[in-house]
Amino acid sequence: MRVLVVEDERKTASFVRKALQAEGFAVDVCHNGDDALAATTATPFDGLILDIMLPGRDGLSVLCQLRERKNTTPVLLLSARGEVNERVEGLNAGADDYLPKPFELAELVARVRALTRRGGDNKSTVLRVADLTLDTLTHKAQRGDATIELTAREYRLLEFLMRSAGRLCGRMMILEKVWDYNFDPGTNLVDVYIRRLREKIDANFEPKLLQTVRGTGYFLKEQP
Amino acid sequence: MTIRTRLTVWYAAIFSVSLLVIGVSMYSELVVEQRAKIARHLGGSVDEDAGTDITQIIFFYGGAAVAVGALGGWWLTRRALAPVMALTAAVEKIHENNLGGKIPYSGNGDELDRLTEVFNAMTTRLNESFHRIREFTLHASHELKTPLTILCGETETELRDESLAPAQHDRAASQLDELRRLARIVDSLTLLAKADAGQIVLATETVRLDELVRDNFADAQILAEPLDIKVKLEKCEEIFVRGDRHRLRQLLLNLADNAVKYNQAQGSVTMSLRRSGEMAEFTIINTGAGISPEILPRVFDRFFRGDPAHNSTTDGCGLGLSIAQWIVSAHGGTIRIASEPSKLTMVTVHLPLSAPETKSA
Repeated sequence: MRVLVVEDERKTASFVRKALQAEGFAVDVCHNGDDALAATTATPFDGLILDIMLPGRDGLSVLCQLRERKNTTPVLLLSARGEVNERVEGLNAGADDYLPKPFELAELVARVRALTRRGGDNKSTVLRVADLTLDTLTHKAQRGDATIELTAREYRLLEFLMRSAGRLCGRMMILEKVWDYNFDPGTNLVDVYIRRLREKIDANFEPKLLQTVRGTGYFLKEQP
Repeated sequence: MTIRTRLTVWYAAIFSVSLLVIGVSMYSELVVEQRAKIARHLGGSVDEDAGTDITQIIFFYGGAAVAVGALGGWWLTRRALAPVMALTAAVEKIHENNLGGKIPYSGNGDELDRLTEVFNAMTTRLNESFHRIREFTLHASHELKTPLTILCGETETELRDESLAPAQHDRAASQLDELRRLARIVDSLTLLAKADAGQIVLATETVRLDELVRDNFADAQILAEPLDIKVKLEKCEEIFVRGDRHRLRQLLLNLADNAVKYNQAQGSVTMSLRRSGEMAEFTIINTGAGISPEILPRVFDRFFRGDPAHNSTTDGCGLGLSIAQWIVSAHGGTIRIASEPSKLTMVTVHLPLSAPETKSA
């Protein structure tokens, strides 16, 4: 997987590159819009991380040019302005995701992973992680032979975690996908729900599936 | 007493006095002098009627003249003061959000036009300083975001380093927590600065408020559980409002979060949603320390935190209620807070019902 990071702030570009490289991505970096356009013409990328505020040609303009050239590389927009309208504008211009600054690194990595695996999602109606199964038609959850009762919200949370099994899910991403919040409510809602879910699916079972990465997010994984 | 009444009364009084002077001088000139003359020349009888006639004329016609004068004075002052009233009405409409608007000149080139000019110059200057303060906050919060992004990112990168000693790891994690708190404050500040500058456009649609309240009720229960606080939903009528779904959810969650945070263990939170005239009324009551009357009017102020002793244990940045207030007023509603210290606090939100809702109700 090869991704291009377009960010004029060198330090930001540097830690984003480090984090993505640590996750096994090959990372190229550009510091302005024109270089980014040139790079995408020369090399096919699996994903583009594009800052909106760039010197010269800005991120949105790069995105429009790209889509005009029928380049469908998935694009994640970054912005320090964080305006709701900007998000809508970006998605309309053909971006696949949008992340306001300051972002959590884990969040960024998780989103880039999701982006580059686009289309590869699990389409099966029964999701499975180890002996935990979730039927997306009947909304029935089971661990081994034991049936687990879930509330509507817990079900959506578990479904989301199981669909992205093995991948780290950041708090903002969970809030966005499970709660449909596009703002940070500043509460520990996600943590409390995760705790409840853990009690239901992990407390009386081995091995433990729901893992916490302190300060960054959660993931479901078979291995401890 | 208004200037107009006062001027009219004075006008009438002066008019009466001058009439009196004329009357007295006429009387002395015509009646007394004549009588003396006649007495001197004829030494006979005098027509006593002339004196009575003049008194009658003065009182009868004089009264009418005073009445006409008073009415005329009334009309005159009214005309003279009309530009002042217009000015007052125009000034009354000015508040911090429309300082840019100018008061129209009367065009007479008089003292009042001069006053209008001075007033307009003052509001222009005020508007400029308000604008500059808003711009400053907006720029400051934007400028803070880049270094914050770098700090958060680098601290997170450090945390990923497996060779980090546990003590260093803990320190970095705690730093990251504080950095995120700072990021949230900057976010809230940006939101308020943009709201002040009128830069936020609501994605307005017809929203079923009762569904949002039920959702919020479920979230509040979860938030309250670890503190052993009971959450009740007393009433939840089917209600439609026009509004921005995300902002309304933010408002409800914000209020619910506060109701849980500023509660006591084993306390309770009670929510209800009902129709009240042309408005939807949402109330949320929580038990707990409450808010003392002195600081109650200030709870919507930015960065205002009531009890300083409270701050160490309860997180948040003191911008939550300001944001809630902005969301409510952006939807054309009102938010009120009432409290009985050491007993309960009640927040009431009124939002206008959506148009078809008003008709059917």
